[in-house]
Order: sequence, then C-alpha cells, then structure tokens
Amino acid sequence: MKRVRSTVAIIATAALLLGGCGGSDGESDSKTFEFWSFANINQKADVDVYTKAHPDVRIKLTEVGSTTETAQALTAALAGGKVPDLVLIQADDLPKFMQSPDNFVDLTTLGAGDIKGNYLDWVMSQATTKDNKIIGVPTDVGGLAVAYRTDLFKAAGLPTDRDEVAKLWPTWDEFINVGKQYVQKTGKPFVDNTPTSVFFQAVNQGSQRYYSADRKLDYDNEQVKAAFDVTLKAFEAGISAKQGSFSSGWTAAMKKGDYAVVCSPSWMLSQMKTNAPETNGKWDIATIPGGSGNWGGSFLAIPKRAKNAKAAWNYISEMQSPKGQLEHFLMQGSLPTTPSVYTDPQLVGKTDPFFSNAPIGKIYTQSVLGIKPFYFGPQDGPIGTEFLNTLTSVEQGKVSPAKAWDTALTNVKNAVRE
Amino acid sequence: MTTMLSPATAPPDLRRPHRRRRIQQGVREFLAPYAYIAPFFVLFLIFGLFPLLFTFYISLFDWDPIGEHRFVGLDNFTELLHDPRFWGALRNTFSIWVMSTVPQLLLALGLAHLLNHARLRLAALFRMSVLVPYVTSVAATTIVFAQMFDRDYGMINWFLGLLGFDHIDFTASLWGSHVMIATMIAWRWTGYNTLLYLAALQSVPRELYEAAAADGANGWKQFLHISIPSLRPIIAFTVVTSTIGGLQVFTEPLLANPVGGLTCGAARQCQTVTLYLYEQSFGQFHFGYGAAVGVALFVIVVAFSGLNYLLATRVRSERP
Repeated sequence: MKRVRSTVAIIATAALLLGGCGGSDGESDSKTFEFWSFANINQKADVDVYTKAHPDVRIKLTEVGSTTETAQALTAALAGGKVPDLVLIQADDLPKFMQSPDNFVDLTTLGAGDIKGNYLDWVMSQATTKDNKIIGVPTDVGGLAVAYRTDLFKAAGLPTDRDEVAKLWPTWDEFINVGKQYVQKTGKPFVDNTPTSVFFQAVNQGSQRYYSADRKLDYDNEQVKAAFDVTLKAFEAGISAKQGSFSSGWTAAMKKGDYAVVCSPSWMLSQMKTNAPETNGKWDIATIPGGSGNWGGSFLAIPKRAKNAKAAWNYISEMQSPKGQLEHFLMQGSLPTTPSVYTDPQLVGKTDPFFSNAPIGKIYTQSVLGIKPFYFGPQDGPIGTEFLNTLTSVEQGKVSPAKAWDTALTNVKNAVRE
Repeated sequence: MTTMLSPATAPPDLRRPHRRRRIQQGVREFLAPYAYIAPFFVLFLIFGLFPLLFTFYISLFDWDPIGEHRFVGLDNFTELLHDPRFWGALRNTFSIWVMSTVPQLLLALGLAHLLNHARLRLAALFRMSVLVPYVTSVAATTIVFAQMFDRDYGMINWFLGLLGFDHIDFTASLWGSHVMIATMIAWRWTGYNTLLYLAALQSVPRELYEAAAADGANGWKQFLHISIPSLRPIIAFTVVTSTIGGLQVFTEPLLANPVGGLTCGAARQCQTVTLYLYEQSFGQFHFGYGAAVGVALFVIVVAFSGLNYLLATRVRSERP
C-alpha cells in the first residue's frame, strides 16, 4: 500500500508542477495595465513621466527584446496566451498584424477618430484597415537624411556646409557623381554600401512600393525597378565600401573613416554615436537625394483580449498627443509623427554636437513632409529582404549587375506565398 | 521482476485465505514500475510527443498563428520539393555537418590519447581546460568568430594580408561561410568529445599500453592498435550524437552573418534547415510551411540516425 501511495504522490506532484504553469497572477484593477515594449529604447523614462503625472496608475512594463522578438512574443500571445494591454509594434511588423485586425481593439471605439488628424496621413494609413478601423497610433517615424564626414569632404575638395552639400545631390544620379569625384580625389570608397544606403532609401521615396494602391501584390513595377537600377548604377560607379549595414566591418570602417557617407534614418543617429564615439563632431547631416523618405517607425496597439483597454488608451492619448511626442523628441530624439509640432521653436532649434550642431529636428521633419502614402502589405518584409539580398550579392561579386533584376524577381517569386 | 517477487510457484490451496491480498499485491507490483517511470513519460507526452504530432498536423495547413487555418493537404510538401531555398539549406547543412564533425572527432581522438598519457603532468588542468569552449556561451563564441573572419578588419584576413595573400570574404562565399561555421562548431564540441573518449580510454587497462611499449610499439602504433579499437562503441555514440546535433545547427548560422537577417547571407549561402524553418515560421509566420520543413528534417534525422545505428552495431559486433 505504501508503495502505491508514494507513486500516487509522485504523479500528483508532477501534475501540480505542470498545472502550476497555468496560474494567473491575481486580479488587475482599473488603474493597472501591462505594457510590452522593445528593449534599449528607454521606454521606462516615458512610463515614469506618465506615472508621475498620474500617481494612481500602475504600469507593468516588460521590455521584451528586439522589435522582431517583441512581434514574435505578441504573435504567441495572440495565438493563445496572456496578452498585454498595450503593445509597441514596429512598422515593418505591423502589416502582418493588420492581416488579422480582429485580434486588436478598433481604436475608433475609444476615440481615435477624433485625434487621427493630428498624425501624418501616410503614417496613419498604415494602421488603418480597409473598412476604416484604426489598429495602432504612431509613436514616431524614421525620416531620412545623409550623414557625411566634414573632414573627409574637405580633404576631397568638396564643400562642407550642409546646405551646399544638399545642393550637390538633389537626385540620386547627382549623388553618384559626387561619389565618383570623391573616389577620384581620395582613392577611398564614398558610401558605406549601396543596398541599404541607396536601395532601401530610394524605394521608400515613391508613391508605390511592393503593392498597388488597391492592395494587390505588384513588386515588378517601374518605381521599384528605378530604385533598383540606380543602386546598380551606384555600385558600378565604384563608390561603395561594400560594408553591410550593422555588420562588424561597417562599425569598424565607420570608426576609421573608411567611408564618408551613410544614409541615415533618424533612429540610426544614436547608433552611430555608440559605434564610433571617436568621430564626435566630424559628422554633419544633409538632405537626402530625392528630398524625402521614411524608414521605420512604430505604433502602439491594444490587443482585443486586453483586460484594461481603457487605461491603455488613456496612456496612448496623453503620451502620443502632439505635445507628448514633442517632449519625447526633446528627451530621446525620436521623430514625432504629429506635423503640428514640426514648426515648434524647440524642435526647430534642436541641434546635435556629434553632427556639427546640425538642426536634426528641422532636417528630419522636412524629409517626412513630402511623402506620398503607399500601401504596406503583409509580405513587404520578405520581398524587401530578397531585393536587398540580391543587391548585396551584386556587391559581393556573386551576381552580375546585368542579371541582378531577373535574379531578384526569381528570388522574390520563391519567397512570396500567394 | 514481478514473478520473482510474488510467490506464484507456491501451491495455491495452502495460500487460499490470502489469495485476494496476494492478487492485490501482484497487481501493485506489476504496476509499480510503470508508475515510477510515469513522470518522465508524462512530461515526454506533453513536451515531446504532443508537439511532434502537432507539427505533423500543422504541416497540412496554411496556418497563420493569429489568423486563418486553411487545410491544404500535402501542398506544403509539394511546394517544399520545388523550393530551391530548401534544397540549398539541405546542402548547406550537410556540408557544414561534414566539415565540422570529421575534423572535430579526429582531433578529439588525438587529444584524448594525449591526455590519457601516463606521464602527463598537470593532467587534471589539461583535461578540464578542453571543456572551456563547451561552457562558453554560443552567442559570445559566434560573435567573436564572426569578427575574426571579417573581410576587412578580421584577424585571419589581417594575417593573410601579412603573408601577401588577398583577403577572403568568408561570410559572402559559400565555402568560406561553411568553413567559418564549421570552425565554430568544432571549437565548441571538440573538448566535449575529447572527454567522452578520455573516459572510455581510462577503462582500458594500463598493462596493455605497457606491454605494447615493452614490445617496442611507439605512440602512434599504440594509438592505432589499442586506443582506437577499445573506443569503438563510444566512437559510434559520438558519431550518432554529432549527426543529430549537426543536422540541427541553428545558433551559429543565425548569428554568424547578422546582416542577412535570418538568411545567413545574401545568397542564403550558410542558411541551415533549422534556420530556414525558423525564418519561415517565426520570421514570416508561415507556420504550416515551417512545420513541413520540420517534418522533412525529422525524416532526414531519423533516416540518418538509423543508418548510423546500423553502421555502429556492425562496428561493435566486429572483434576489436
């Protein structure tokens, strides 16, 4: 008998241990909500600002990880786990969630309809469904500009003043010509790489990307081809250092000044400061060829099963108001999505000593004003990756420029699932 | 076991009053061993078998984790057969597996033989130190190796440059990236296999070596004719485990070429099958297709393990 009892005990213990996994963590009151964000963006500072103004509110902040990891965790949670009340989603991940909008609270039911006019229309359209449900409120955008080394430009006999530099390259073709002059004079490569610094910028400057206006797959179009061709042209001009963005070689070359130009979205600036602190003051920022463009940005959304959607919405409407976004920009530097503050003296007057006191607020906000809205589809991620990878293969000498476009289309066709 | 414990051989009429109790006891003793092993099997059912079967199930669907689940039958597998990315990943996996396993096991054999030497000083120190790579975090290892193999600023290319050779773009080329990843795997696992071999070698009687030495056999001869034959079973074991591990390499290719995202390079030149599975499932949320890749990998691993097992039993049955 004793033996049987102990066996039962073992099984019971195992069952208890297993059952323990599903336990809940108590009741949540109306003043408490859970917030999932990316790591390393100092989200806690924002949360502190809010809880200081509302001492009765309690925010359980979880910094999940990278943008991709946060999207993965959210997917798992939506598929059948415990969901947060508020979640930050990166713009590249958003289209996948927009495919199943029923997983989220339609924010128009909470009052998003009244405030949507505060935000850039082309950003808002990314988070709006066909039937005008609003899934997310934008927190920031990634305006485009070119970061260049003034000391290296001077040595190459090029102008160093940011307005004059901007005048050198109103178009990508002229950008390539400046690059050729630089290479001729110095014998060193001009731009860090062409796939990221040219293609990813140029393809985001059109009125259409990989989908048509009626939300159908259409990646084999003139605008994408034009961006692709200008990238090949830049490569063939011999101006590229062929350092893949964010690689260890890219960082090392940035420190050593082995290229003079990086096309840098607004969120890349802080990365450059961390990567190459010894180049402090040697950089400046000029307008991007083509004048405008965006890469990145994020949205706040509320999952349908959230326990406390109201508290989360209160947070969104206060922190993402034009005033809230302006304060966030002044504190952390990420670009507001609310054009009404683009002329605010505090934003216009914001400069950065690392980039020779360039007025980053002014330059970057100008780049997001002229953007035409285009549809972001669910397969944008894999399509963009295949185009970028093919162009990288060209830089690595594995694919000839003549065959690149056909190779890219084949790769995209393989990657896309109808 | 049960029959030995219960007095079933006793004449039944003598024991009649206690028969009921005896049966109860018999049943209990019959069930007890199963109850003892139950915790493992319950956990295995939940965390092992169920996910496995569920993967088979999902692979028959076009499965969006947060949206529709559409039954597509074997379409995912048909597509897989015509997917150049899958075949490329399979080629990469086998190439990396061969490049990492063969040198690694040979090196481990040699090291184990050296560490087993009777006159080795500081034996404990050397024996422990071969395990250091194994306890180092894979992520840290990968990042350091990736920097060493860098095209312009890596240590290896700096050295090649000193010798007057051109720089090799390891991460960009097919073979270069395979060599790089195979090196990382071999670096990590050689010590572990060395210790396995060493443990087996220590059960070989010293007298054999002494007798061989007395007969004039040198170190190499001793290695060939004493160490290797006595290691046969453990060699078979390490070959099977490194095959299973080698076919599922993931972290190294994921982190070796971070620029390419989940593809390990622009031309998917070092994307392994598991990384492709991950890219499809968690990068693009094609869970059905990802599951089909998983099923294919499962079949391949089972087939190879079976083949290994056959070879291994044959090796074992041969006389040393």
